[in-house]
Amino acid sequence: MSSRLLPRLTHLRQVHSELTTNSFHKIPHHIKPETSPLPLYGGRHLVTLLPGIGIGPEMTSHVKEIFATAQAPVDFEIIEGTGEELVRNAITSVRRNRVAIKGNLKSVIDEDGFIAPNVMIRTKLDLFVYVTHYKTYKNVYSKWPDLDLVIVRQNTEGEYALLEHESVNGVVESLKIVTRENTERLAKFAFEHARKHGRRKITVVHKSKQLELSDGMFLQTIKNVAHHYPDIQFEDMYIDRCCQKLVRNPHHFDVLLMPNLYGNIASNIVCGLSGGSGLFSGMNYGEDIAIFESATRQTGESFVGKNIANPVAMLNAGVNMLRHLGKSEHARLITDAICHTLTTSRVHTPDLGGVHSTTDVLSEIKRYIEDVKHLN
Amino acid sequence: MANFTKSFLNNISRTLPRLRKFFDQLTDKKNTAETEFSSASKRAVGSRLYSSEVKKCTIIPGDGIGPEISAAVQKIFAAAKVPIEWESVDVTPVRGPDGKFGIPQSAIDSVNRNKIGLKGPLMTPVGKGHRSLNLALRKEFNLYANVRPCRSLEGYKTLYDHVDVVTIRENTEGEYSGIEHEIVDGVVQSIKLITEDASRRVAEFAFQYTKENKRHKVTAVHKANIMRMSDGLFLRCCRDMAEKYPDVKFEEKYLDTVCLNMVQDPTQYDVLVMPNLYGDILSDMCAGLVGGLGLTPSGNIGLNGALFESVHGTAPDIAGKDLANPTALLLSAVMMLRYMNLNKHADIIESSCFATIKEAKFLTGDLGGKAKCSEFTNAICEKIAAASP
Repeated sequence: MSSRLLPRLTHLRQVHSELTTNSFHKIPHHIKPETSPLPLYGGRHLVTLLPGIGIGPEMTSHVKEIFATAQAPVDFEIIEGTGEELVRNAITSVRRNRVAIKGNLKSVIDEDGFIAPNVMIRTKLDLFVYVTHYKTYKNVYSKWPDLDLVIVRQNTEGEYALLEHESVNGVVESLKIVTRENTERLAKFAFEHARKHGRRKITVVHKSKQLELSDGMFLQTIKNVAHHYPDIQFEDMYIDRCCQKLVRNPHHFDVLLMPNLYGNIASNIVCGLSGGSGLFSGMNYGEDIAIFESATRQTGESFVGKNIANPVAMLNAGVNMLRHLGKSEHARLITDAICHTLTTSRVHTPDLGGVHSTTDVLSEIKRYIEDVKHLN
Repeated sequence: MANFTKSFLNNISRTLPRLRKFFDQLTDKKNTAETEFSSASKRAVGSRLYSSEVKKCTIIPGDGIGPEISAAVQKIFAAAKVPIEWESVDVTPVRGPDGKFGIPQSAIDSVNRNKIGLKGPLMTPVGKGHRSLNLALRKEFNLYANVRPCRSLEGYKTLYDHVDVVTIRENTEGEYSGIEHEIVDGVVQSIKLITEDASRRVAEFAFQYTKENKRHKVTAVHKANIMRMSDGLFLRCCRDMAEKYPDVKFEEKYLDTVCLNMVQDPTQYDVLVMPNLYGDILSDMCAGLVGGLGLTPSGNIGLNGALFESVHGTAPDIAGKDLANPTALLLSAVMMLRYMNLNKHADIIESSCFATIKEAKFLTGDLGGKAKCSEFTNAICEKIAAASP
């Protein structure tokens, strides 16, 4: 009992020291607790839920509904609010629970300056990698059939360091930071992930011709890591050529490994090619913490309250979370339900070219789950 | 003494309305002198070109397939009787007095004299001391905006029909300013520079281009939710410029949204204006939508002139075999003609080129045909001859 308490105490000490410093970006120190199991209270997992803005609250509540139908042993700790307070509470909660599911959080400008909670949470919790898996569904319209791409993207540094200043009136400098340490961790994660999931090729995307030091170091570090994985094919490509190739022949790629901004661009391109932002989810991983959200992190402001948003993206995030928690049977049940709804029953929301509402999609998923439970 | 004269004239003009009108006209003439940034948009170059004169243009054939396609373009222009005299220069780097390789002075003088250039694909030589030739040309002629119109070609089917997008990209600063440092071992910082002057210049060019080419919408692409100050400055300049062009629709979109929507439905975008990096990536992506870099024209507009180029590679494997496709260079040359206000000739050449591709009787290898470059060129020349009076 006491050994379970020990890791949590060290977490609290680290939380205090980090929150009293001012820098939003620094080389993150690795939080390396002893490997302890995820918190489990009475057989049920407690995860943090950050509803956010736009369609976030609606979509995350749908996740709760479907989890209840599937009887997944997960409870949610809901954290709401804005600005600095939201960031503080969210970080405390996620550090305690180690797993979270979130919508897009609102960026504000208040007396503390510019607060971008999404970026700050990722940086402070050291969620250094973002993985998105784009796999087309049968019978769902996509520009290219049978796509199966994984994009592994650096999540904390690069262009998203939030370090900008106006040195002279009318001249603004924005810093892009690249560190060897983070790049190495990212590369190791990517190659291990590829090996674990049977992926055969990794393509590194960069612009080392123009950005010789930063992208050059990125590329070289990854090449060094690639030598230790001879079973995985490795190639590198410039970002502009990569985007062009994605549009003309995306089947060339298997796993894409990229820095922060290029990953954003390529993710959105592949998402658009595979069926749209309503379908896919993304996983933010740190050394010990994982946060799940919709792949393209859109707010969906135009869909609020209209019952036409596609709930599949956030449901997939929920499924990824269940798998991470080790609840594979529940994950499989919900995945099958989603697959059945999209491919067999073809209940599609307007973003997929259909006419059904969000509630139609959810009813169909619930119906499938209940049918399966009745059979068992 | 001068003050007395001025006040005397002012008083007189107040009482005599016709005199007042005369003085107003005088002062108006003074105001029509060039204001700060309009020299760029007014194309001071264009004002001295009259349609009856023969203009001189610099042509840089380039390497690989460069010479063949340049010859094809010159032949087509001759067939269309375009009043242009070509001045061919070679930009193979020569060792300067400081030991560094650079563009030969004769080439620089030629483009400075003629103010307009057409460039084929260049092979950047590998090795120390060679700076990128494209970068050198860009710095030499202050080329601040890169324009790449991407239009679907009838006769060459891609997954996307009816694409008609123009990407205008800031070409001098932004992420490619080249300022990088290794702060400590293993930590590198790269500086993205955004200045008000450059942003305003490219924004003005974008709106001017939209108006002159009878397009209707400008979309500013940015990531101001993350890079608040830098992209925020860029956006502010675009917004200020939008107020001066009220008949052109203006919208702002995030980079992710544009990428997502562009691959699903490119028809929703018209003219895109953006900083350097986003422009580089998006313009190549849009080129991919219509069929690749082998079919996309590109123009670089500068303060001291303009340089139009083909952006594909030198294709050394087919060089000299009469298999190359001159479409990219030809369409860039058509852009050049429009820049020089030779719109009649531009229309004839462009429509002949499109008609030849649509007909699909003479298509080069990259378009899926088996014709030679010369056959393709001749087909276009025939159509031009048929179209010209």
